[in-house]
Amino acid sequence: MLFTNNIIKSLGIKTMLSVIGFKYEIFDIDNYIELKDLLLEHAEKLHLIVSDELCNEDDLTEIQKIVLNSPILVFSDSQSGWVNGIFYVSLKNSQREILSKIDYFFQKDSTKKQENSIISEREKDILTQVALGLSNKEIAEKLFISINTVITHRKNITEKLGIKTIAGLTIYAILNNYINPENGNL
Amino acid sequence: MFQNKINDDKQMKKKLPFIPDTMLADIIHADYQLIPVIGRFGIEFGFGNKTVKEVCHEKGINVLFVLDIINSYHDDDYFPKERLQQYPASLIIDYLSRTHNYYLSDKVPEIQDYIAEMELNVSLNNLKNIKLLDKFFADYIKELSRHLNYEDDVIFPYIKDLESSLNMKFVSNALIKKIKKEPIDQFEKNHDNIEVKLSDLKNLIIKFLPPVLCASTCQKLLIELFRLESDINNHSRIEEKVLIQKVKQLEKEILKQGETTT
Repeated sequence: MLFTNNIIKSLGIKTMLSVIGFKYEIFDIDNYIELKDLLLEHAEKLHLIVSDELCNEDDLTEIQKIVLNSPILVFSDSQSGWVNGIFYVSLKNSQREILSKIDYFFQKDSTKKQENSIISEREKDILTQVALGLSNKEIAEKLFISINTVITHRKNITEKLGIKTIAGLTIYAILNNYINPENGNL
Repeated sequence: MFQNKINDDKQMKKKLPFIPDTMLADIIHADYQLIPVIGRFGIEFGFGNKTVKEVCHEKGINVLFVLDIINSYHDDDYFPKERLQQYPASLIIDYLSRTHNYYLSDKVPEIQDYIAEMELNVSLNNLKNIKLLDKFFADYIKELSRHLNYEDDVIFPYIKDLESSLNMKFVSNALIKKIKKEPIDQFEKNHDNIEVKLSDLKNLIIKFLPPVLCASTCQKLLIELFRLESDINNHSRIEEKVLIQKVKQLEKEILKQGETTT
């Protein structure tokens, strides 16, 4: 739900939300009283975005009581970050900063580590060495296994990931933090 | 009812290949992926209800060659390589050069633009990942340009030389030396696969890139990568199965002529 009575902000916020691909309902309202009435009707809605010209801090505290657990994001001219359970995004931020913050608020663009069971631990070791630029022979010596075993592992890795080139495997290794970008054989 | 629809579709497919009397507009309606292929022959829209034959006549283009290229692009199983080998090498090369130009001047910048757009519209966490893809693609462009430029600057002129020598019935000693020293076989062996990195990039995005904010840009990027890859696949098939095989023939004929004249 998005509350604002400022057309510029309303359009701007809508654009930001559509960039993220987030569905929203929009209410054009003039004042805090109207906002409160609407909230009483729609208290079950999950996310709430408010522009701060509509209400002062006391009003916001009251809104929090109405919407209970729903997270509130406020576009503000002055504040930034979490304050008293409300997430402020400063209008002075750059596009990327605002996007990152909205994104964080909605927890959508999660770069959180996913359970990565595609390749085995041993295959991960081999892949790391490949990404570091070692040849099959060097990997065999380093991990005390035969060259044939290295080749078999590499075949399986490529099959599982669908990535054939060393450059591609290196990118995969960096994406998953197996190696540092500086060490990668790019 | 539904069954009928499926049968109709099958019927449509059976009408293939496209023939000289097929309306060009119908071909595009049947397979819009052919739009860039048709464009490469210098054919522009606004051709009304004209057939392929009529449009090609107006433009002075070889109708049968256009149809063989279009049909083989449209249907993977349709590949009359023996017949394709009968066309003049210069005609095949002309088509391939235009395709190179399309990759480097149209497709690559388009994909770069999408990646740049993504860099602007992702969160800080994901920015480093997009930058990695950017680097990967930048390296790929270098490889692709080197590959295509080598063909345009070295291989294609050599082939044109072979053909014009045969046509003029005059073979220089230098050319004979060149055939003996660097026959097309060598190029064939080293003709590296330029699709494989594109396929890697696709999988990195599809399977492993964390979800991005700008999902629609990412989708567009992916679609263009698929298109480029399938276009290059088709292109490589013509180079390897048609052009190179034809050149082997030309080389043999020239060496034979060289023997009889000296």
